[in-house]
Amino acid sequence: MQSMAIVVRDDSYDKLLTPFAFAYLQASEGCDVDMLFVNWAVRALTEEGASAIRIQGDHADQDAWVREQVAKAGLPAEIPDLIRALKATGKVNFYACSLAASIFGVNEDNLLPEASGIVGASWFVNEKAAQADHCQYF
Amino acid sequence: MTKRTILDTSGKCCPMPIVELNRAMGRLAAGDELEVLATDPGTRTDIPAWCERTGNALLETSSMEGGFRYVLRKK
Repeated sequence: MQSMAIVVRDDSYDKLLTPFAFAYLQASEGCDVDMLFVNWAVRALTEEGASAIRIQGDHADQDAWVREQVAKAGLPAEIPDLIRALKATGKVNFYACSLAASIFGVNEDNLLPEASGIVGASWFVNEKAAQADHCQYF
Repeated sequence: MTKRTILDTSGKCCPMPIVELNRAMGRLAAGDELEVLATDPGTRTDIPAWCERTGNALLETSSMEGGFRYVLRKK
């Protein structure tokens, strides 16, 4: 596989782990990974939002325990560190959906430096997802 | 002479054994061997499939107490 596109919509800590882990796996094999953050997940592409990500809902009280397990597994346990680790592979691009950015308060000023920009969904779907060898939606 | 390097991923879970395997293999020369120690049961499928996909040879697989051992040769 040469390229993979991933669309991420949930911003709960546990629900971000899988797309990040899959991206890390593929990037480590030299695969180009493009990730589009839509809906609430777009806030993960800001410093404030990434640092505020927690487990939500029924498992919210297990947030600290899950982070300990993630660290034991060898992954960076904090989302900002995980984003930096993925970016450091040189194979992962993070994009903020322009609609989500508009709704959830993300702009060029608060976007993480690791992000490649705020893009239209049409561009991502046609130029990245449709061209990729594989697409995943979380 | 064949050079063998040990990669101990014990205690780590997916995706790290494969991430570290890719890094380690990238540092080896063709013909060098990598001995991988792992406790993640996912490596039982991931590492043979990785070898098949990348064309690197899987020379040995074995279970040991509490984990697994793989010996790979870089193509």
